[in-house]
Amino acid sequence: MKTDLTYSEAFSKLEELVEQLEEGNIQLDKLSLKIKEANELIAICENKLRKIDTEVKEAITAAATQLLNKKSGE
Amino acid sequence: MQEHISLSELVGQIQDSIQTKFEREVFWISARIMNVKKYETNRRCYLNLEEYQQGTKTAEMKAVFWANYYSEIEKFEKYIKQPFKDGTEIICKVKVRFHKVYGLNLDVLQIDVAHTLGTLELERQKTIEKLLKENSATIQLFDGVFRTYNNRLSLPLVIEKIALITAPASDGQRDFQQEITKNKHNYSFLVTEFLTTIQGDNAHKLILEQLQLIEKSEQNFDVVAIVRGGGSLTDFKPFDDYELSAYVANFPIPVFSGIGHDRNQSIVDLMAREHKTPTKVASTFVEHNFEFENNLIELKEHFFELVKEQIQHAEDKLNNAKRIVKLSSPQAILNRGFAIVMSNDKIVIDPKEIQLNSALQIMLKDETIYSTVTKKTNNENRFDI
Repeated sequence: MKTDLTYSEAFSKLEELVEQLEEGNIQLDKLSLKIKEANELIAICENKLRKIDTEVKEAITAAATQLLNKKSGE
Repeated sequence: MQEHISLSELVGQIQDSIQTKFEREVFWISARIMNVKKYETNRRCYLNLEEYQQGTKTAEMKAVFWANYYSEIEKFEKYIKQPFKDGTEIICKVKVRFHKVYGLNLDVLQIDVAHTLGTLELERQKTIEKLLKENSATIQLFDGVFRTYNNRLSLPLVIEKIALITAPASDGQRDFQQEITKNKHNYSFLVTEFLTTIQGDNAHKLILEQLQLIEKSEQNFDVVAIVRGGGSLTDFKPFDDYELSAYVANFPIPVFSGIGHDRNQSIVDLMAREHKTPTKVASTFVEHNFEFENNLIELKEHFFELVKEQIQHAEDKLNNAKRIVKLSSPQAILNRGFAIVMSNDKIVIDPKEIQLNSALQIMLKDETIYSTVTKKTNNENRFDI
């Protein structure tokens, strides 16, 4: 599977699969393959989400530090 | 030798006549005060009372405030907010006194402060009317509030460059600078001083000159502060001047006035943004910047909140998807007690494909059962809930 998918691309593929699973549209003999695909998509999404979360937390810390420095007159 | 009397006898007779006529009388008179000489330590004031008609002097008398009545001058200065000085028209109560050596004099016993206040108020009203009439595009009065071109100018988001008009080495200068340099938020301002006398007869012209310098300056000031310390003798007159008031009203940089008084407003105050004292003007600048910083902090916090929410939302959706995927896996199906039926290594979906006596593999959670079909019946909606 392509690993350079964006979060949105990966998640929308995952949503499609989930929809098929919910509607019972996947035949049992293809299920294992689809589940494998879904798990890969989940992994991609989780990695990207964790990266975004870390980046946002870093940005918040940087902004707070900047404010604190300014207030203490550094 | 001619029959004669001594000078003192004559003067004595004059004194007697005057005393007979005026001794028990006091008079309220209107006059212009000139040649005022105040001796605060002795609490005495010598002056001339004069009257003019069409520019010509028609009467003049020496007058004096003795120590008992010196407080009348202090009262005048307190309420009128102007020094008791040459050229002022007053109404006062006097007593005629004749002294053999010093001659004829008027003792001033009382000043009609209300009259002078009224005269000043009248002058002030005339100036305001003239301002409204001659600057109708830039000065308007709505519900008792003056809206001028200047006091409606919007302020920059952050105030940084300040032009300060004040008197050198004055309380106003010190108070303003102290408040601005030692502000609790540690903001830095660039204050350029335009020093001038801001009291006295020429003050309005000198202040106007400073405003002109500020206007021509290439520094692009954010605001102008005109400040003056308080004190017992607050002279309002320069700030009620028509030219200065009109100039302030039409000035292109927001003007803040802090000219140290709390009873009345000068006309310049009405044309600008009034904050009473130098300290208050300075703290207004500091608060203005603090408000901006607060908004900025709030905006940042709100932004990060939204980002966090978005991430949380994505996580929730992903977790939901994970749960469904997990529940749908063949192993999960088997774990729940279902079986997968296979024939010739292919999963059987349609039971019609299965013939009686054919071999089947039934895959359960842990084991696979190999069997032969002995009977087929319809489920008859067994699982229809």
